[in-house]
Amino acid sequence: MKKYLAIFLVLTMFVALLPTAAFAADDGIILFNGKIEIANALQHAAEVYEQATGKHVEVNSLGGGVDLQSELKQRYQAGNMPDIFTCEGTPDFSNWTGMMVDMADQPWAADTEAEFIDSTGATVGFPYTTEAIGLAYNKSILDKAGIDPASITGPESMKAAFEKLDSMKDELGIKAVIGYCANSKELYWSTGNHLFCNYLDAGLARDDSTYFDLMMKEGKLDEQRFADFAAMVDLFNKYSDPALLVSGNYDLQVSGFAAGNYAFVTQGSWIGASLTDQYKELYAAAGNFECGMIPYAFEEGIDTILTNPPSHWAVYKEGKVDEALAFLQWLAGPDGQQIMVQEAGLNSPFKSCTVVANDPFAPTIADFTARGKTSSWHFLDQPANMAEDFIGGIFQDFAMGAIDINGFIEDMTVTIPDAVNQ
Amino acid sequence: MNENTSGKKALSMALLIVGFVLMLAALYFDITKNYAGLGAMRGMFLVLGALMVLAGIYFIPTVLHHRAIINFIFLFPLIFTFIVTVIIPMFVGIFYSFTDWNGVFYTKMVGIENYQAMFKDPAFMWSLLITVLFVIVNMIMVNLVAFLLALLCTTKLKGVGFFRAAYFLPNLIGGIVLGYIWQFIFSNVLTKILNSPHSALATTKTAFIAIIVVYVWQYAGYIMLIYINGLATVPKDVLEAAQIDGASDIATLFKIKIPMIAATFTICTFLTLTSAFKQFDVNLALTNGGGTVRGFMGKRLSNGTQMIALNIYNTAFARDQYGYAQAKAILFFIILACVSLLQVRISNKREVEM
Repeated sequence: MKKYLAIFLVLTMFVALLPTAAFAADDGIILFNGKIEIANALQHAAEVYEQATGKHVEVNSLGGGVDLQSELKQRYQAGNMPDIFTCEGTPDFSNWTGMMVDMADQPWAADTEAEFIDSTGATVGFPYTTEAIGLAYNKSILDKAGIDPASITGPESMKAAFEKLDSMKDELGIKAVIGYCANSKELYWSTGNHLFCNYLDAGLARDDSTYFDLMMKEGKLDEQRFADFAAMVDLFNKYSDPALLVSGNYDLQVSGFAAGNYAFVTQGSWIGASLTDQYKELYAAAGNFECGMIPYAFEEGIDTILTNPPSHWAVYKEGKVDEALAFLQWLAGPDGQQIMVQEAGLNSPFKSCTVVANDPFAPTIADFTARGKTSSWHFLDQPANMAEDFIGGIFQDFAMGAIDINGFIEDMTVTIPDAVNQ
Repeated sequence: MNENTSGKKALSMALLIVGFVLMLAALYFDITKNYAGLGAMRGMFLVLGALMVLAGIYFIPTVLHHRAIINFIFLFPLIFTFIVTVIIPMFVGIFYSFTDWNGVFYTKMVGIENYQAMFKDPAFMWSLLITVLFVIVNMIMVNLVAFLLALLCTTKLKGVGFFRAAYFLPNLIGGIVLGYIWQFIFSNVLTKILNSPHSALATTKTAFIAIIVVYVWQYAGYIMLIYINGLATVPKDVLEAAQIDGASDIATLFKIKIPMIAATFTICTFLTLTSAFKQFDVNLALTNGGGTVRGFMGKRLSNGTQMIALNIYNTAFARDQYGYAQAKAILFFIILACVSLLQVRISNKREVEM
């Protein structure tokens, strides 16, 4: 009898579970955000959107060291794919070929030039921000030293400015002229992608990919241009903070710049958010100095900084397409942009956007953009592991003096073909 | 009696039939992607069906096979879980190693191309080489250090308990955390003390030594505990007899203690061997495999300290070559399986001799 009672109880338990299974709630769309810095602002945008339309948007934010694509793949295999997800450049998008919605007919697509268009001509990536790569500087230090950033137009003027700053280190209260870190374990992405892409793209028109094509198709570097680039890296090695150069990390580099220890730093516009948020005490103590960017002018005549969206959002075909598209359209509109630009500190990629960000680098980016002095970057289209597995280590070897400038050029020349022909 | 049997038979049949019908219904809903209405309860159907089938089997009226049925029912959950989580993925993995799988889909079968490619890949061969080197060095170092610590901790020193705990403590810290702690020590502390311009982690040779140091530090305490246990099993009367016969401490150690705990040595060698082969977390956190190597198979490599497990991980997750990584993982599996079998065989032999 006891036995039957036990079975009966087990059955009751399962029956009691039934309603939860049957009425599993339909919980709106899921946005998979890869930029942890804007997680809070995005959450707020989702709430405002829910109030306005009654549609729920769930924001899942991941970032830092997390490999977004492998996380996405896990979710895909678990049948749990988000409706909107983040992709960086061609290799990422090609993971999902045929699974993304073509958004060319969306109203926002006509309002921007920064959308991602795949090899078949489909608009699969929604641009939510643009970022800039240039040689960031601390304006108040340069002012004190009597250096006009606009006067740095080539290798000689850059060298002269560095020497002058170096000789005035004590007066200016700085640790080093430049915060450059070549630690290949921590910052391979900074040297191997962001700095190296200046060799590839700096000074070129936005649709010009001469040096990128030369590298990808023939595995070659332009000798003269690369020698000039190497000379600039040599200059950085010489004038960087020795404590940072080989054994430092990203936090040390950015906090050092925020604290006013360096006149220049080899990071892009994304550190603006760190200055005003993560390191705001240091930044305030250093006087909330004005920031700007100059081109990495390793050759006379290079007068552009690089601007592009760092990643795009794609919409999953099998997901809730209509709701996802409606949300993206709302984000691209005035209400969405208000939050994205002012709260998240993003630079709007949309022409109709009139909101101005209070990011320290926003004015300089706006200035270069208005003058048409921007180039696009291509490092997102190079093999994904190129910086980490191939060239990041060469920057470190050069920085620690294991190789000299000729060794640097030689190592890069023999390694690039291996990287592009893996 | 007869009635009872026939009642049981009917119950058993009913449970079996309803159970199978429920499971089939669940499968039907799943395959046809009919998730609405009754289909939303397909998971429940599947579980209920499976339980009913099990109950049905239990009630089958047989005396002859009853014991076998009970054994089956009790083993079923474990075997089922083992098959679903280990056996099936292993075969799926072997299958994927013959494709160009990128983690989401594969476009074609590539035959044994992945297996051929890895032997022509200098970076992978380098990883294999330094992993073997790492395993050999570690097997010796960890066992040596652990045994010496064990000897120290079995003497009648004051505060032995404290030392035992202190040596064991590093093993309780996770590898990733430990890697970052030591990274800080190498990059920020040792550079200041030694006044060197850059950290030991910046060059391949010193970084490799650094990983060994950290690994020995982490693992020696654990192995030490096993040795302490082993030393405690050495019979007191034998030691006393040796003492009476006038054997020196050294002679006692080499002629009595070490031979008496030969089995412990085998266990410890085996443990250090396999765990060193699988080294991943310290490697990831401490150097992430970095380090320049020149002129290996005619190439300049950047993965000077990348052990094989990290190499496989990076191939899959950084380079998106899941199929290729899978092939490497299978080679890794074969190596580990061979080593383990060899170890077990050797240890069995020795234990028989004793």
